[in-house]
Amino acid sequence: MPILPMRLDRIKKDGLFRVTKLDSGNPCIARLMTMGLLPDQELRLTHEAPLGDPIAIEFNGCQMSLRIEDAARIEVEAIG
Amino acid sequence: MNTDRQLSVALIGNPNTGKTSLFNMLTGLQQQVGNYAGVTVEKKTGTWTLPNGERVDLIDLPGTYNLNAVSLDERVAVDVLAGHSADAAPPDLVIVVVDVENLRRNLYLASQASELGVPMVIALNCWDVAERKGLQIDSKLLEQRLGVPVVPTVARTRRGTGALAEAVTRALETRPILVRPRWPEAVMESLEYLRDELITQRGEALREGELQRLLFDKRSAVAERLKTTAPEREPILRRAREKLHMGGYQPDAAESLLRYRFLNPLLNDILERQAAMKKRSTSESIDQLLLHRVWGLLVFVGMMYVVFQSVYTWAGPLMDLIEGGVGKLGDFAGGFLTATPMLQSLVVDGVIGGVGAFLVFLPQILVLFFFIALLEETGYMARAAFLMDKLFSWSGLNGKSFVPLLSSFACAIPGILATRTISDPKARCITILIAPLMSCSARLPVYLLMIGAFIEPQYGAAIAGLTLFAMHFIGVLLAGPLAWLLHRSLPPYVTSQPFVMELPHYRVPQLSRIGHRLYKCGSEFIIRAGTVICAMTIVIWALLYFPRPPELAEAVEATAAETSPALSPAQLEHRVNAAYLEQSFMGRFGRTVQPIFAPAGYDWKITIGVLASFPAREIIISTLGITYALGGEIDEGSDDLRTTLSKAKWESGPRAGEAVFNLPVALSIMVFFALCMQCGATVAVIAKELHWGWAAGSFFGLTALAWVAAVLTYQIGMWLA
Ligand SMILES: Nc1nc2c(ncn2[C@@H]2O[C@H](COP(=O)(O)OP(=O)(O)OP(=O)(O)O)[C@@H](O)[C@H]2O)c(=O)[nH]1
Ligand SMILES: [Mg+2]
Repeated sequence: MPILPMRLDRIKKDGLFRVTKLDSGNPCIARLMTMGLLPDQELRLTHEAPLGDPIAIEFNGCQMSLRIEDAARIEVEAIG
Repeated sequence: MNTDRQLSVALIGNPNTGKTSLFNMLTGLQQQVGNYAGVTVEKKTGTWTLPNGERVDLIDLPGTYNLNAVSLDERVAVDVLAGHSADAAPPDLVIVVVDVENLRRNLYLASQASELGVPMVIALNCWDVAERKGLQIDSKLLEQRLGVPVVPTVARTRRGTGALAEAVTRALETRPILVRPRWPEAVMESLEYLRDELITQRGEALREGELQRLLFDKRSAVAERLKTTAPEREPILRRAREKLHMGGYQPDAAESLLRYRFLNPLLNDILERQAAMKKRSTSESIDQLLLHRVWGLLVFVGMMYVVFQSVYTWAGPLMDLIEGGVGKLGDFAGGFLTATPMLQSLVVDGVIGGVGAFLVFLPQILVLFFFIALLEETGYMARAAFLMDKLFSWSGLNGKSFVPLLSSFACAIPGILATRTISDPKARCITILIAPLMSCSARLPVYLLMIGAFIEPQYGAAIAGLTLFAMHFIGVLLAGPLAWLLHRSLPPYVTSQPFVMELPHYRVPQLSRIGHRLYKCGSEFIIRAGTVICAMTIVIWALLYFPRPPELAEAVEATAAETSPALSPAQLEHRVNAAYLEQSFMGRFGRTVQPIFAPAGYDWKITIGVLASFPAREIIISTLGITYALGGEIDEGSDDLRTTLSKAKWESGPRAGEAVFNLPVALSIMVFFALCMQCGATVAVIAKELHWGWAAGSFFGLTALAWVAAVLTYQIGMWLA
């Protein structure tokens, strides 16, 4: 089964994802990378704010919120 | 080791890992603790006595995720660790406070710090949580692999602090350094290039770790500290990063990738058991409700309603008590001083009246801060920011501005103090600058007076209510665009931070900490009342009181005896007071600047009221009372003041004989008060939280804005009428 990469801002809640690509030039993402959000890291989308922005993701046991515009610079693939 | 200097130990770690709690435990010195990323903004020092009797300086640093030195907090941390902060010498040891639940991420910071060459001890904090959740972390194995002592601690209950003290005592002798990654060739070459250019050729005093910061971080604040000027250093830094790129590493991503590649093999088997708990945490389940699109918002609105309702209802009786006490104190002191009217006026009207009017807000501030502390300690504050972020992001602010701005509707001072929870310096600066536009409760008396005198009688209660709402709304309406403008025009040194925010695990709040925070903010407030506010009220009092030639009173009494002999002694005294006021310094000044306010429809008496209210806007009520010859003891419900105002006529000028107050004038006064920065305390707080320049800018800016809006209101009103 081919795995299609998706942008993090487009994915739905529930389900496990794996990071495939990150735009490290974006300061928000650079920050998340220092916290361990790197290629191959698994993550879950746990919450969406009322208007769908920002969103909260969980990885390595911590919950981080980020804005949709920054989430669009992260690509993930579904793994379950 | 040299003995003439006291050794120093610094606490570093990710936000919210318990550094401040540990600091308090070790030094016995209480200080602010919060469950909100980045509460500790300044560096705090205390004395810690080690088991061998040696005393060391303990430094509490703000929480940081990394040392990339983008934010102020990170910059402080790098500067202290590298020995570039104000008191020079780098610490002899750092204790990295690590949250056991986030070991990997926390050790990233430790690894960055080790590059600066400081000896290290690791405190595995929140060990109680690990035990409760059944995480089994082999701290001895970790210690072997990392090469520095690793001590489990529970900062909340003092557990493990003895072992930590012993480990630190030993480490101060042995000076252990955390294992460092072996960097690939490309990194080494780039660092070598930087070393040659900056240290060898330009004589910069930089450590290896700082060279790394310059190489890996595009916007490192370390660069700003160099002697080498920006035009000279920029090409060097760019060249170094290009070398890294040619070596096959994306410069922005290189450090995270390489450092985690180094850390992961050290940690993977130790953390393996943690993988068993991939299921949802309790916090996440609570958030299913509290961050829900509908329920989450409802809970949030309900919670805010309770908070602000309490600010009014709980604080009300206390405020009455203070008001009553201040009144009694005034009478009491006044009774003693009847022989010296000037001193009596200074003490009663000036000091007790003015400072009392300020102290009345203390209960509201304490109630509000109780809730803020509660929301922060539990971890809800980050959720509130998460829910509200979208409302603010367009104007360059973020969700963390919500609570401070809402608080400002009660009073801008607690609101501005509450911005300390905003970690982004730019968003914080903007929030502080727009906070005074939120209509605080001190404006209420002005609105009530004007609406009660000129709107309710003519247009009924519905329109009156609507006007009251409009007055509260006008500030909000202008605050949005103002924030947007500020966001685009603030000087570049006020930097913005990327908005990524941790949603920390919920925690049971500790009442002792909340109590301590209340004590701190309450005492700060009272000290301010005793100093700045006291001085300011005395100045205004003097301007309204002097000069005071006795002939004037005699003249007024003489004319009154001729023209209206039926006047009661009290009415006569009011006339005398009004006559004195008219030729006081402030009165003369009011007459001189009245032309400036003429386009807004104000006569010289209103002008005096406006001018005298710059220290505190409520003063307008008592000043109008004096100027329209009623005496100062007036409150907004007083029918006398309302009727006098509606009867007041222009004494001279083109409109002589016409009523001074009509609908446009009343509206223009309200608009002016809604927007103007008439609050000395707020100016002082802005100066303290930001800088005098900002306070002055905010003062003149908002005053100009208020003037323009008042003139527009009056002119449009007159044109329509
Ligand atoms: N369960 C548990 N909670 C702790 C422990 N240590 C600290 N806390 C709680 O963690 C929260 C944050 O503690 P602080 O001491 O403010 O953390 P900090 O590292 O100084 O935070 P910042 O200055 O914001 O970076 C508080 O609510 C503490 O009560 C611990 O060992 N166990
Ligand atoms: Mg702290």
